[in-house]
Amino acid sequence: MSQVILFNLLNGLIVGAFYALMALGLSLILNLSGVINFAHGGFLALGAYFAYSLAPITGFWIALVIAPLGAAIIGVAVERVLIRRLYGRDPLYSLLMTFGLAFIFQDGLKFIWGAQSVPYQIPSWLASPLSMDLFFLTGYRIFMIAVVAIAVGGLFLILGYTRLGIRIRAGTLDLDTVSVLGVNVRVLRSLNFGLGIYLAGLAGVLAAGMLGLAPTIGDQLIMPSFVAIIVGGLGSLPGTLVGGLLIGVVSGITSVYFSEATEAVIYVMMALILMVRPHGLFGDEGRLQ
Amino acid sequence: MTPLKVDGLHTYYGKSHILQDVKIEVGEGELVALLGRNGAGKTTTLRSIVGLTPARSGSVTIFDRVTTDWPSYRIAALGVGYVPEGRRIFPNLTVEENLQVPLERPGPWTIQRVYDLFPRLKERRSNKGRQLSGGEQEMLAVGRALLLNPTLLLLDEPSQGLAPLIVRHMFEVIASMRKEGMSILLVEQNVRAAVAIADRVYVLDDGKVAYEGPAAEFAQDEERMRSLAGASSEAWEDFS
Ligand SMILES: Nc1ncnc2c1ncn2[C@@H]1O[C@H](COP(=O)(O)OP(=O)(O)OP(=O)(O)O)[C@@H](O)[C@H]1O
Ligand SMILES: [Mg+2]
Repeated sequence: MSQVILFNLLNGLIVGAFYALMALGLSLILNLSGVINFAHGGFLALGAYFAYSLAPITGFWIALVIAPLGAAIIGVAVERVLIRRLYGRDPLYSLLMTFGLAFIFQDGLKFIWGAQSVPYQIPSWLASPLSMDLFFLTGYRIFMIAVVAIAVGGLFLILGYTRLGIRIRAGTLDLDTVSVLGVNVRVLRSLNFGLGIYLAGLAGVLAAGMLGLAPTIGDQLIMPSFVAIIVGGLGSLPGTLVGGLLIGVVSGITSVYFSEATEAVIYVMMALILMVRPHGLFGDEGRLQ
Repeated sequence: MTPLKVDGLHTYYGKSHILQDVKIEVGEGELVALLGRNGAGKTTTLRSIVGLTPARSGSVTIFDRVTTDWPSYRIAALGVGYVPEGRRIFPNLTVEENLQVPLERPGPWTIQRVYDLFPRLKERRSNKGRQLSGGEQEMLAVGRALLLNPTLLLLDEPSQGLAPLIVRHMFEVIASMRKEGMSILLVEQNVRAAVAIADRVYVLDDGKVAYEGPAAEFAQDEERMRSLAGASSEAWEDFS
């Protein structure tokens, strides 16, 4: 019995790590540019398919790093050409635009790589269980958590200690003043968008190794990622991280006891948290305050 | 090269016509005071110059480049430092991080030099912007603008809400910037203090330039000074 709980706890943590990667990217973009990127799941899938095409040539490891970069470059292009025009307008416009983009991505991916799901090869030593007792604990699961931890750690290092990151945080609260201090805020927004998409692409590659690939791979992640942002508190990236992990773990545990509620529980949890803390867990520093 | 030439500027907030035919010049190495009552349009003038509220017609020329419709960051990159009204410190960043935001234009100003000028900021370097007193925020806003290594500096009411001793320090700093060769446009409610260090004076009234002349001449016009100065003249006399 305890093994079942442990299994679902670990599963929840992994799913939560995916939510967190998605949600961190969404948050970055929302905080600096005020755009809710419904196409985020499409970028995730794009990263996964890039890796799928790259891995046979470059091998697993290089694909893991380069494929998200490919997605990020496409992301920056999309931002420069389409999304940038909608900054400062009614959020409804960018909502419609990214919603449409999500469909375009999905059909585009189907067109290029086919609608059928395809397997994604991971190194065999990563695929085998670590021990007999904990048969579910494959190396790949540990590996995923480690990669997410490194990516999140890297993100917080960038935001905390580089000029780029400091400017992004400054711009989150007052982009006009950042601009007046000579910082090219168009480039800043593009880089920030690319950073967010990189995280989505990375989540895509990791997810592909676990679930295989399908054009809809990002679909189940997008709504919980929004929930993660709200639970953590709009405007707070640490909050987003905690929110993502929390809802992953809670829905993982719930699946043991009441599996029908696995999806519903995160919305119930969001409602409960918002009743106690209307600005989310870490929402005190958010720009909505 | 004239640092700043503003000509025939008309600026609107939505439908309200705020600036009406404003014409201002700041010469090389000059310190120019821009005065006027509350709501006269001083802040709007600066915002139009730095591109935050672009003028609807007229022109802004900075170092011989017509910048009227440029985005703020391009204008700043020409070497235009701006200390906004209310300071606009980033409250979520530390003092040190606030100083890392500006573009790194080459020049004499470094974070270390800002700390030498305002040792208080060094003591507070790891405090968040929101934890600073008004005086510390003003130092930070000025230091932040200096880190761009500007040759033209625009200041919007640097003495607002500060204790007399800090106001005096601020004015000394501004005067020393001019000695270093910066051209300065200074918006102030603290009329006497501003006139005392300025070369020339503009007075805005209801969005129009109502007076333009040398500071020395303006200082003779006691009546005009008094009518503009209002309550703040007492504050200045407190410590002068
Ligand atoms: N964002 C805005 N939207 C609409 N009207 C504005 C806005 N900002 C300022 N105004 C109006 O424009 C006029 C000029 O304002 P401005 O802030 O430029 O004056 P000011 O001379 O800087 O005044 P103060 O000494 O109080 O700072 C005022 O009538 C003000 O009410
Ligand atoms: Mg003002």
